[in-house]
Amino acid sequence: MSVRVQIGLGIVFVVAAIPKIVDPPGFAHMIYNYRLVPGGLVNGAALVMPWVELIAGLALILGVWRREAAILVGIMLLVFIVAIGVNLARDHAVDCGCFNVKSAGRSREELLSDMRWVLIRDVGLLLLVAQVLAATRPPRWNRPT
Amino acid sequence: MPRGSNIARVIAFIALGAGAAVLSNLTASTQRKLAWAGSYPRALDVGAPAVEPAPTASIPAPAEPTAPPAVSAGSPPAVQVTAPPAPPAALEPDLAKSFPPHPDKSAIEVAPENVLLLHRRNALFLDARRSSVYADGHIPGARSLPVWESDIDTRVKALYEEGLDQRAPIVAYCSGGNCEDSHMLAEKLYMVGFDNVLIYKDGFPDWQKRGLPVNRGANP
Repeated sequence: MSVRVQIGLGIVFVVAAIPKIVDPPGFAHMIYNYRLVPGGLVNGAALVMPWVELIAGLALILGVWRREAAILVGIMLLVFIVAIGVNLARDHAVDCGCFNVKSAGRSREELLSDMRWVLIRDVGLLLLVAQVLAATRPPRWNRPT
Repeated sequence: MPRGSNIARVIAFIALGAGAAVLSNLTASTQRKLAWAGSYPRALDVGAPAVEPAPTASIPAPAEPTAPPAVSAGSPPAVQVTAPPAPPAALEPDLAKSFPPHPDKSAIEVAPENVLLLHRRNALFLDARRSSVYADGHIPGARSLPVWESDIDTRVKALYEEGLDQRAPIVAYCSGGNCEDSHMLAEKLYMVGFDNVLIYKDGFPDWQKRGLPVNRGANP
């Protein structure tokens, strides 16, 4: 089962990465909208993050360094959860920019309810990461003490 | 397996991603390229950018039929589908009087009615949205200055070098709502000395809702 979870998680990240790689300015705009990244770092984050998503996703699909890829995916999910959570807490509506970098011009209420769903979805994905990590634990005799 | 190798592999993933990003950005077209260092002074501010509200009342719009306020109070702006009739050809100076330069701030917002007036009087319109969105439809005559694309500074410089009157009203717009691209553009124009950038806050969606003409393609 963990292999399927791992492949599913990998596909989610690959699919999410592609539109961002195709349109870095669009993704930079999304990151800017979150109002969490200092101005000088917005573009750098928009350029590098999608590639890390893609590579980690591919590694999960192919089963290469899957434990490390899962750790990285977990870290990214935590970052996304914090970013959405902070903006929900301060009532600042943003386009998630998760799978799409074009703002659809939706209303504040629609965006806020979307953000709540994204939060739940990301927590669910995090559970999948936990599953992969549990399945790829090194054997007991090989664990550092 | 020592834990150090886990961390090393995670770092290797990130380094690989960064390398791919560098390569991809090097080979990207102007519309897709991004400068590595962003310059967004308001990147951490939440809420609307600081802009003066519209100087609505001061406009002499001779032929505009103004609806009685009691009737229009509850109706949404979308109701007004037809543009008000064109005013008699007026002189440029009175336009300058209605929209005086504001050298102390980068932009002020103007009401949609004033935007229509400025459009009829051939004020310069600038579209701050992405060039692909511009090509899908824009206000006739508006020029494309996409703030999120890498050649924006070149485009602003080119506009500056045209030697336009820097005190004349310029209307900047984007996609309305929370969109701040026009404010960003206004700030860039302010830096090179344009003192009279006006923001069409509701932007292109409002223009479309009013059923006004739209041009398509890459040209104004």
